[in-house]
Amino acid sequence: MNSSLRAMGSWLERRAENIAAAMLATIFAAFLLQIAFRYLLGLPIGWTHEISVVLWLWLVLWGAAFVVSEREEIRFDIIYGAVGPGSRRVMALISSFAVITLYTISLPAVVDYVTFMKVERSSYLKIRFDWLFSIYIVFAVATIIRYIWIAWQAVRGVAPDEFDPTKASSGV
Amino acid sequence: MNLASPFSISLVAITALAFLGLPIGHAMIAGSILYLLLAGLDMGTAAEQLLNGMYSNYVILSVPLFILAAEFMNIGSMTDRLMAFCNALVGRFRGGLAQVNILQSIIFAGMSGSAIADAAGTGRMMQAMMTRDGRYPGSYAAALTAVSSVIGPIIPPSIPMVLYALVSDASIGFLFLGGVVPGLLMALSQMIIVATTARARNFPVEKPVPLRKLPRITWEAFPSLMMPVVLLGGIYSGVMTPTEAAAVAAGYALLISAGLYRSVSWRDFYNALAVSARTTASIGMLIAGALVFNYVITVENIPEGVKALLAGWNLSPVGFLIFVNILLLLLGCVLEGTAILLIVVPVFIPTAQALGIDLVHFGIVVVVNIMIGLVTPPYGLLLFIMANISSEPLRDIVRDSLPFLFAMVVALAIMTFVPETVLWLPRLFGYQG
Repeated sequence: MNSSLRAMGSWLERRAENIAAAMLATIFAAFLLQIAFRYLLGLPIGWTHEISVVLWLWLVLWGAAFVVSEREEIRFDIIYGAVGPGSRRVMALISSFAVITLYTISLPAVVDYVTFMKVERSSYLKIRFDWLFSIYIVFAVATIIRYIWIAWQAVRGVAPDEFDPTKASSGV
Repeated sequence: MNLASPFSISLVAITALAFLGLPIGHAMIAGSILYLLLAGLDMGTAAEQLLNGMYSNYVILSVPLFILAAEFMNIGSMTDRLMAFCNALVGRFRGGLAQVNILQSIIFAGMSGSAIADAAGTGRMMQAMMTRDGRYPGSYAAALTAVSSVIGPIIPPSIPMVLYALVSDASIGFLFLGGVVPGLLMALSQMIIVATTARARNFPVEKPVPLRKLPRITWEAFPSLMMPVVLLGGIYSGVMTPTEAAAVAAGYALLISAGLYRSVSWRDFYNALAVSARTTASIGMLIAGALVFNYVITVENIPEGVKALLAGWNLSPVGFLIFVNILLLLLGCVLEGTAILLIVVPVFIPTAQALGIDLVHFGIVVVVNIMIGLVTPPYGLLLFIMANISSEPLRDIVRDSLPFLFAMVVALAIMTFVPETVLWLPRLFGYQG
């Protein structure tokens, strides 16, 4: 049971990564298309710009929700990296509690804001903004579930992964 | 400052959560939600600021594209050819390979905007070349690759400069131009250190490449060497926006790696996309957190408060720059560079403006500071990466990087006190500053 669950988890993880990679590929392609249309064909197009901005937003929140692992997150490790597994468990428990509480109590207001945005549509593709912005709700819920999981692991006695700064790339 | 105010409490919460090891992006979002809650404001504002900020910013789209460009360059054999080219030029001098290391960093800098990508991309090969047959001590080679990678984001293109443009509204095109001379200055300072230590430590000389072979080696490296020309030429002729130039850079890197050098498999292609997507999500979360927290900072009018506070110190522009340099170098020892750029730097921008400091000059000084922070212990990402690649103890790498660190701080002082080193080139292209 446990191993098949784990297999399913890693299968889902790989699919989430496929989607993120596809989003980035689409941003890249949209830009090339935009440049080609403007300079080679002399036809400026706006919808490619809109696609890339939307996908950038979705890529970041989707990636943060489902793709980026705990090892890859950018964090401040002066204390976290120096303490043993026991202390790390306690620290994870406290910060998870804060994240779960704050993301959960803000959730109704966030849902309100996103659904309110249904009155607006994007300029080129005329997509309703509540659809475009719904990714934040997905992100918030996924984050809450992720931290419930981390807190549960910490309670059960499994310390969170040691921090690996070389995996946490911030692009600078 | 009132210690029980919503702002103070949320600031303490963010700091505490970050110290507890919560990812910095989440710490900033959570802390900002706490602020909105305590101040009795609509908590939906957190989502509003994040979503609109990410959606309405066009320049920022160049970040994922520059990351992708660097990944595409690293999978191809562009690196090998450039290394052969650099070796033909400077390998014949004492400490030749060490000079090759710096020269190829300069050339790479003209194509990539990320120091981390440069070190990760060329570090392994450089390390293997320099330590073969015990030519150079492993820790020295690792230290040199770490410090020479610093040049990457100072010479355009540059991801940190894009982030600075985001928080300061300075022109990204002029920032890019402003980085050229300082980047060369940093390289020169490192080359001087190599040249002086090469004699003292009796570093080897590479077998000179015969001059008749030079045209062929240059020809093979030519498509890669043309990349900065395509990129910067496109931006400054006004043909492309910097964001489009980032896409062109990625396209060009893919084209020559896959088309010309035929060294890219589908697996490589997918991996480059996946790694870039992951990096984009990580850095994007920091940007997202900073957007939300910067809203709080603006509501509380913090930058103006800092301006008033610093005005009380009666700092001269030079005094202010010295203060910022020292502060950023110290912060760079313990904090991640992107976080400093997105959270700490915006607070000082109004003061810089009030003191009449040019924002392009300020931006370059800030970026150089943050880059030096990547090689200062205890938290120096480039040191970690090279320790990982070379399997040398971190302590030895730090020891061997100290002379370079000193030289880079001298170079930083020069560009701080002589603004013309930064502003000369942008002015040549019509910058009114």
